[in-house]
Amino acid sequence: MSQALGGCVHCGAALEAREERFCCTGCEMAYAIIQGAGLGRYYAEREACAPRPGAAPAGWIAVPTSRGANGVEEVRIQVDGLRCASCVWVIEQVLERTPGVEHVMVSYATGRASIRWDPRRIDLTALAGRIAALGYRPRALGEEAPPDRDLLVRLGVAAFCAMNLMLLSASLYAGWFDSMEPRFAALFRWLALVLATPVAFWCAAPFFAGAVAGLRRRVLHMDLPIALGVAILYGHGVISTITGHEGYLDSLGMLVALLLAGRMLEGRGRRRAVEAAMSLAASAPRTARRQAGDRLETVEAAALRAGDLIDVGNGEELAADGVVTEGAGQVRMALLTGEAEPVAVAPGDRVVAGSILLDGALTVQVEAAGGETMLSRMAAQLEQAADRGMRPTAADRIAPWFTAATLVIATVTCVGWWLTRGADVALTRTVAVLVVACPCALALSQPLAAAAGLGAAARRGLLFRSADALLDLAEVDLVTFDKTGTVTAGTVTVLEADDHALRIAAGLERYSMHPIARAIVEEAISRDIALPRGENVREEVSVGVRGRVDGVQWQLATGGPGTLLLSDDAGRQHHIRLGDVIRPDAADTVRKLEAQGLTVALVTGDHAEVADRIAATAGIGTVVARCGPEQKAQWIQARQRAGQRVLFAGDGVNDGPALAMADVGIAMGSGAASSVLVADGVIARPSLAPILAARRAARACRQIIRSNQRRSLAYNVVAVSAAAAGFVNPLVAALLMPLSSGLVIWGALRVERLVREGDQ
Amino acid sequence: MNAVLFLLPIAVVLGGVFALLFLRAARKGQFDDLDDPPKRMLQEKD
Repeated sequence: MSQALGGCVHCGAALEAREERFCCTGCEMAYAIIQGAGLGRYYAEREACAPRPGAAPAGWIAVPTSRGANGVEEVRIQVDGLRCASCVWVIEQVLERTPGVEHVMVSYATGRASIRWDPRRIDLTALAGRIAALGYRPRALGEEAPPDRDLLVRLGVAAFCAMNLMLLSASLYAGWFDSMEPRFAALFRWLALVLATPVAFWCAAPFFAGAVAGLRRRVLHMDLPIALGVAILYGHGVISTITGHEGYLDSLGMLVALLLAGRMLEGRGRRRAVEAAMSLAASAPRTARRQAGDRLETVEAAALRAGDLIDVGNGEELAADGVVTEGAGQVRMALLTGEAEPVAVAPGDRVVAGSILLDGALTVQVEAAGGETMLSRMAAQLEQAADRGMRPTAADRIAPWFTAATLVIATVTCVGWWLTRGADVALTRTVAVLVVACPCALALSQPLAAAAGLGAAARRGLLFRSADALLDLAEVDLVTFDKTGTVTAGTVTVLEADDHALRIAAGLERYSMHPIARAIVEEAISRDIALPRGENVREEVSVGVRGRVDGVQWQLATGGPGTLLLSDDAGRQHHIRLGDVIRPDAADTVRKLEAQGLTVALVTGDHAEVADRIAATAGIGTVVARCGPEQKAQWIQARQRAGQRVLFAGDGVNDGPALAMADVGIAMGSGAASSVLVADGVIARPSLAPILAARRAARACRQIIRSNQRRSLAYNVVAVSAAAAGFVNPLVAALLMPLSSGLVIWGALRVERLVREGDQ
Repeated sequence: MNAVLFLLPIAVVLGGVFALLFLRAARKGQFDDLDDPPKRMLQEKD
């Protein structure tokens, strides 16, 4: 049992009176649902307190991933807030006991839930509502590619064949010294050929496809020398099996298996990063409540037309651009402008999709919806800008030279031996040259080190989309931060309040979903203040809250910008200051970045004085204030023209152009979905420190790739000379090749160790 | 020694059967998620 004595039974928050069991009605309901389903064991077995239930999601329309027989549908959604394996258990059990649900599977590692249910018996909104009622946050996922099993299957077959090939070859090599009956030798060779055939034609197919695709684009890709090597190994193997000589088929199996393993590791690392970025970018499903005569209907946001009237309630996100026709309230447009301060709107004001109505209620006449909204247009532009095309890797840059050099040496060997020793010797040695020159180790060095580097960075909180971006991080010499949501936490927080005022305010705001109310209650909980129960609490739109606490009538209202005024009927007054706070580790991160010789700058759309104050607290020297989205990108471009490599970290839609322009763009996982999609990397924690760790990973990765390339090039020079001189036969090749690959694998394993040494 | 002549092909075929089983398992998605099952194992299902 981890809940504090006397705390809320569900979420563990401190409580005022001993006889109280729950801090809010949300927790009470969650408890009732869990007990009602007979799952009370959850409270005894969980390792962490449950999250506090939030508002129920509005209309859900998710695209089913598959439709089964008898009308059953399956959908995949993202669930946030999982804290331990018991969370997964309780969600699965509660949903599975809901009539109409057939099967639920929640992944603790990724937060993905797949739900199979009968849409005629229960709708998805109700299911999402049940998840939300337990305290977890369901979100809709965009379309996702199914997991790629192809490489794994090819690798499995290649490994199976390679191991059997090795067994057969080992007996053949042993028989070489010991003499073996010819019929056994023939059996072994023919079996080896049978095993090698699927490896050459099917397992190695991705390399052939890559080489052909490269040739079509007139690039000499790293796959080309590999494909050449595989073709020569197999061709030579067929001929030597027929003529009864030793072939290189065992080396073929080993080579293909190792290369596939390297490729799969790299692919898994990258896929994991992309998936994590996608789940961070997953957003609430866009639905709207449209007025139809005197009724309201829930429709997909994309189905809205100009002229429709939609209702927007407290805490809801606007589904379309439009003009307010009725009502009033405060709207937070941080997604677009990046600034946290809410804006008051009244009839006649223009509002845009993606902003959130903090309080009040509005009726909005739609002007643009779906792909036409300002938000969608901006996001589409950003995605185009981010599509920078595949950058060639270091190995790809070497590949043309490598291929050319191999072919030249092979030709020289062939011609030289043909003239001196005749065609037979010339062909054998040329094949040997081509075999040992096959750049197995070189091709492995990049993906293995990159997979290790991406993994090391991801475990420390920074997910990179590609290894190239990670390597670019090692070269950066100017780090620019956006202010709101990046250097600062980007949320409303209580900056200053005495305990007494906070206790009363928290009592009044205990049941409200308003972000300011949540901030007050969270602060009270973190200060271990027991929450009193407010009575007769009434919320008045754009004015404040009134209610009784401890028998005294209190009123909580705005008292100027960033201040709340708490007053009672007797005229006693307390001030609560609210604002955005700088992230606790920001100053430390800035100092460490500067210690590495980097310049740090703050680029923001906010006023100069606010920017200066934040920069001073964080210890940032360079400040560029009052920058629009385009100016941020232009400023970065100017620095790049001056020869600097720029990292930009930001979180809003307005940071998109700058994220795309920078050499390395890093988005905050809590930021706007589109910023996560355009960035090279995403910070998955509310912290800036992962940038430091990722930079260590980048440098370790770069160092290892370089030393691996030097090693494998040195190996190739030695081995190719030996082959040209005639010292390499199938047995020597079978020993040399795994040796060189082993060196490279050992190198990649050092990446994590290098990064860990830096952690201390 | 003659036993090798038929034992060896049998061994390869047997190995092939396991390779096919692996293929089937991989295609059915048994290796898609390697992180969750170890956590799920500790959870009683009722």
